[in-house]
Amino acid sequence: MIRFDNVGLRYGNGPEILRDVTFHVLPGSFHFLTGPSGAGKTTLLRLLFMSLRPTRGLIFVFGENVSDLSAGGRSELRRRIGIVFQDFRLLDHLTTWENVALPLRVMGKKESQYKDDVTDLLRWVGLGERINAYPEILSGGEKQRAAIARAVIGRPELLLADEPTGNVDPVIGNRLLRLFVELNRLGTSVIIATHDHALMDQLNAPRLMLHNGHLHVR
Amino acid sequence: MPVTLLSDIRDYPWTNLLTGILPVRVAARLPSRFQSKQAPIVPAASVAGNALTVVIAIMSFLACLTAGAVYMVNQSAQAWVNDISSEITVELDPVNEADIEKKMTLVSLFLAKQKGITEVKPLTAEDSAKLLEPWLGQSSALQALPIPRLIAVEIDRSNPPDIDLIKTALSQNFEGVTLDDHRRWQAEIRTLTRSAALGGIAVLGLVAAATIAVIVSATRSAMASNREIIEVLHFVGAHERFISSEFERHFLGLGVRAGLMGAVAAAIAFLLLPLMTHMLGGGTVTTAETQRLIGSGELDLPGYFLCVLVVIVVACLCMITSRLGVIRVLKSYA
Repeated sequence: MIRFDNVGLRYGNGPEILRDVTFHVLPGSFHFLTGPSGAGKTTLLRLLFMSLRPTRGLIFVFGENVSDLSAGGRSELRRRIGIVFQDFRLLDHLTTWENVALPLRVMGKKESQYKDDVTDLLRWVGLGERINAYPEILSGGEKQRAAIARAVIGRPELLLADEPTGNVDPVIGNRLLRLFVELNRLGTSVIIATHDHALMDQLNAPRLMLHNGHLHVR
Repeated sequence: MPVTLLSDIRDYPWTNLLTGILPVRVAARLPSRFQSKQAPIVPAASVAGNALTVVIAIMSFLACLTAGAVYMVNQSAQAWVNDISSEITVELDPVNEADIEKKMTLVSLFLAKQKGITEVKPLTAEDSAKLLEPWLGQSSALQALPIPRLIAVEIDRSNPPDIDLIKTALSQNFEGVTLDDHRRWQAEIRTLTRSAALGGIAVLGLVAAATIAVIVSATRSAMASNREIIEVLHFVGAHERFISSEFERHFLGLGVRAGLMGAVAAAIAFLLLPLMTHMLGGGTVTTAETQRLIGSGELDLPGYFLCVLVVIVVACLCMITSRLGVIRVLKSYA
């Protein structure tokens, strides 16, 4: 599903943030991506999501070499990937419901096809009462849950999450982890970037450890 | 590109266009089928400001005025050409002619016998003097001047006479008689009409160029202020076509709204033009000259249709320019 071969990345003429990163992600797998702050977790997620190009090495996403992809080809692959950003990236002028429905709207689906699914998912993540609220009046935890709901609404084949439980209390954190596990059971590969050891300890999943730009699988 | 454009037109939410054109308060009162169920992904307020609407409305107003004026000049010139092409004028030199009236009768009789001539109308000395009044004024001195005598001859346009033959016959039989078939005037009117049309096309070209420049600038500015939205759309898998359609829908609404404002203002100007021409005419002669150039100053129905055409062109220009602008900026982001 995902293959990194000797991938390196540097910003401009600066030092290499990632060096000789090589790993595979198999379909239906569950990984944690961890490491100290500034180790390059977000950068690695951005490479996985094709919003950055590697300075060297090869990246294959769903069997496609991302260096050879057109803008349209990248968009098609992104539709198969859900991503949760650390800073949520919700659109302030859309309601919670509209934000969550955005990936389906972009795919060209009709509202009648997904109306109930979006409402059900929002209820499941505890935002049933905040359906018509705008992001600016949501708390950090509520924004986090809305962002996760937006990432999973399209039943992605790969889910990338950057510190998804960083802004929520342990109860909601556990609930969100259950959602990720449930998705994983349904066939979605999951990569969660986190430095929350309590969260990682709850699952016996391989950990991709980033340190000094190098990646080790544990 | 044409296939993409056609499918865009087919998929366009036309029922929502009305709400895009009307002011928000008015749009909110429309029946539910015209209301958009979901908020636009790119907020309208971040794309089309009032200043931009006013600029495009002014461009549309200028384009309508230019198109209408060229149309009026063309219609007037066409009517003039039609008028003079069915008429020829025979001129009798009054110098050294003791009995000019007798000669007028003889020439008129000669002309009336020719094939293809439907009417021969000799003008009196007073009629000829009246033709000079706008330039020389009413004066008894006109009587003393050797004013040429004229015979207006109407020809059958479906079965025209051999003008050259008549010209030769007149010069052989009568001394000091010339025939003017108005070809020189027709050529000059055509030149004038072509010049007016070319001038109009040049003005329309400048208006179109200015509109494109304004829209390109507005598109870039709208994209810069909505960069975060564009990024999120990219992350959720939106194609360039989807993103550009989100912007172009606003610019289409803006183009229709501003185009209509400009066209309505131009239509009012054309409706008031006859009154303004009369009020600001500056005297009988100036008014007569103006009317000769642009007719009565009233625009007919096809003329108003040109204003509708301007609205359509302005709206399409806004839509297509914004689309190309967005795609270009998206490629630069990539």
